[in-house]
Amino acid sequence: MKTPALLEPRASATLDDYVTDLAWSADGTRLAIAGGEGQVFVATQASASKSLAVSALGHHGMGTLAVAWQPRGTIVASSGQDNAIALWDGVTGTERRRLRPAMAWTEHLAWSPDGTQLASASGKKLSLWSPEGELVHGFDPQPGAIAAIGWDKPGRDLAAATNGAMVIHRIEPPQYATRQYKWPASCQTVSFSPNGRVIASGMQDGSLHFWYLSSAKDSQMRGYPGKVHLTSWSGDSRWLASNAGNEVVCWDFSGKGPEGTKPVQLSGHTDRIECLAFQPGGPYLVSAGRDWRLALWWPGKAKQSIDAHLTDSEPSCVRWSPDGRHVAVGERKGKLTVFEIVKLG
Amino acid sequence: MATTDRVPVTVLTGFLGSGKTTLLNRILSENHGKRIAVIENEFGEVGVDHQLVIGAEEEIFETNNGCICCTVRGDLLRILGQLLKRRDRFDYVMIETTGMADPGPVAQTFFLDDDLKQQFMLDAIVTVVDALHFEKHLDEMNEPGEQVAFADVILLNKTDLVPADALERIERRVRAINATAKIFRTQNANLPVEKVLNVGAFDLDRALAVDAAFLEPQYPFEWAGVYQLEAGDYVLRTGAESSAQHAHEHHVHGPGCGHDHPGHDGHDPGGETHHDHGDHAHDAHADPGHDHSGHDHDHDHGDGLGLAVLPATAASSDALAQQVEPAVRAFAEEARKVGCEGSLEPGPGLNRIDVAHDGTHFTLKVARAGAYAIFCEHAPAEFNLRLEGRKPAAERAFASHHHDEEIGSIGLSDPRPLDPAKLNDWFSYLLQSRGADIFRMKGVINLRGEARRYVFHGVHMMFDGRLERPWGEAARRNTLVFIGRNLDRQELEAGLESCVAPAP
Repeated sequence: MKTPALLEPRASATLDDYVTDLAWSADGTRLAIAGGEGQVFVATQASASKSLAVSALGHHGMGTLAVAWQPRGTIVASSGQDNAIALWDGVTGTERRRLRPAMAWTEHLAWSPDGTQLASASGKKLSLWSPEGELVHGFDPQPGAIAAIGWDKPGRDLAAATNGAMVIHRIEPPQYATRQYKWPASCQTVSFSPNGRVIASGMQDGSLHFWYLSSAKDSQMRGYPGKVHLTSWSGDSRWLASNAGNEVVCWDFSGKGPEGTKPVQLSGHTDRIECLAFQPGGPYLVSAGRDWRLALWWPGKAKQSIDAHLTDSEPSCVRWSPDGRHVAVGERKGKLTVFEIVKLG
Repeated sequence: MATTDRVPVTVLTGFLGSGKTTLLNRILSENHGKRIAVIENEFGEVGVDHQLVIGAEEEIFETNNGCICCTVRGDLLRILGQLLKRRDRFDYVMIETTGMADPGPVAQTFFLDDDLKQQFMLDAIVTVVDALHFEKHLDEMNEPGEQVAFADVILLNKTDLVPADALERIERRVRAINATAKIFRTQNANLPVEKVLNVGAFDLDRALAVDAAFLEPQYPFEWAGVYQLEAGDYVLRTGAESSAQHAHEHHVHGPGCGHDHPGHDGHDPGGETHHDHGDHAHDAHADPGHDHSGHDHDHDHGDGLGLAVLPATAASSDALAQQVEPAVRAFAEEARKVGCEGSLEPGPGLNRIDVAHDGTHFTLKVARAGAYAIFCEHAPAEFNLRLEGRKPAAERAFASHHHDEEIGSIGLSDPRPLDPAKLNDWFSYLLQSRGADIFRMKGVINLRGEARRYVFHGVHMMFDGRLERPWGEAARRNTLVFIGRNLDRQELEAGLESCVAPAP
């Protein structure tokens, strides 16, 4: 079969730091970068140039843990091992506000899809902030430390993955009604299907769990060789991709759903997969692993990867631009590469 | 996988107020030039420049359908994962647990998570014991015993607050729980940093060193002395007249054998990585958890102290040794009770003297001059028991696990070669049926037809074992140590027996 698309490297930069997290600006022209040594950077793609212009925004003590770019806006939120959350202007580079919400690391940040609220997770503490850094709502402590947070597509629900339960908060003040989907294992990820029907989570115990949001009915998928820490939905909500050692396992949610079916297993990596992301609104999937390989897949259509690139060190973070045209790949040794997906024929 | 560049991790346990934080501050402030990251589960008191102190909330995860032996510390997974994202790596990580913490999940975290196993190496579990409050805590709660049982290094701290005889007794109780840990007596948790860091307790390369007495056959008595006595009445006295307090390092036993996790996370001993690479399958909700049935255990702790006084052929250690078998028989008999200030005579039976009151005495009536061996159920030092005006011509301590602790250590030693398949079966059975109760196990095995030592190490059901250096000229022998709750010596002995390879 003819390959329908390729990843073309467009620009790159090398930072003197471990890339712990990446976030694209809403317009896809800038990237915020969290550095393992504590720096927060912004990279700008200069047109007609193969290099990215990188500037440092500021610092987070011993290490930066997370970075998130406001949808439809210019604010970059970052958090670090100094227990702070910082709000920057990603275009001018100024620091707008620095918050200290807890005596603990804030490990996760997530803007609501409309960019009006920023969710942060520190241990069991889940908070909502305005873009100006005012506390909008502090939730009651979650049942366990929060391993991941995520919004559904309309921004109505905010979910927190914890040990023993997936907790879903309806973002409707003043009640902020909460639903808990309990399961005796540690939830590692939050993935709402784009069509709003399902919430899925990878599990520490080597399984995948999902709940149908209309009925709270749940299912467990087993057989994984280890912790499932990556989950990603295709834009059409048909495929749920997950990491299974060196393989990508995709469950097909079309028709009656994946229960009782065999998943699609994508093989090609020769070491563990560390990054996995479906193209927003598109059919392609990118994975990156400890084999220093970046692979492009077309689940359901091609069993082999349709394109692959070697990286300079172990990839640590892969992010699609919001329009699904570019993929940014960060590495442990500081290399940052932006690829463009090029459709053929 | 290079094992040498893994970052060593020390786990520090101990009750609130035991001196844990004092020890930590001491280690951090000492000028050793090492970069140490500290993960604290109790906030506040630690704070030293140039060192990273991370607050964390202890969080326990189940990794395998609710099996308690497969619990790990989620907070450590996250924090240690982040620490790996630095170029200038730490030389050392110390994890300070909360006072009530069970060290099991902390240790298991380093067996169960692939990432951590590759980057970090559990160095030792260090437990600080508050000598002043230990016995009270031990009698009232589970955690102090568990923390001692898991330890590779034990600081018996605050020795300045406890009289010498009580300290002896406390150390005996600590030793009865954990036969292999190094015990140090300290004040203000003061001891050289190298006693606590780079201990290598989980390093399979380091030889298993166990106090030889611990591996001897077990006796119902802990001490014997032989005296040359004239006919007449002698006074056996207890209590008072305390002896000088020991100060420094005490009872140095070698480190336990350790391991290097070669990608092993199953419950299956014997070496192969044990992953369930099953087909991806959908499953209805399985009942999470498998149960580990407990065992009942009774304590036969009679009131008083068992004492046998047996005529010996001479006042020599050889003559004393000859009386060991008769003494074992004597201790099996119904005891004759001797009240306060009562009297007893040499003879084949067992006496039980009432030592409930401190500072009492008994009369030993000797009708005929000669050598007499006295066998004592517990070490006389525990009661400061002495035969007034006499010193034993020879004496001997015996390994005894006639103790009151629910948690204890059992050592097995046997020279016969074992059959690898049978050993594998036994270990599999043991880990599955008794994994919850076995906190630590370690040993060196003499496998039939194998030139090298098989060394193993386990925490609950996590097991790691491999072939190590050759026996060479050394005498081949199986040495196994189990530390846990309600362990059954006979069961373990029978298990080992079942592994003995038939003669070729």
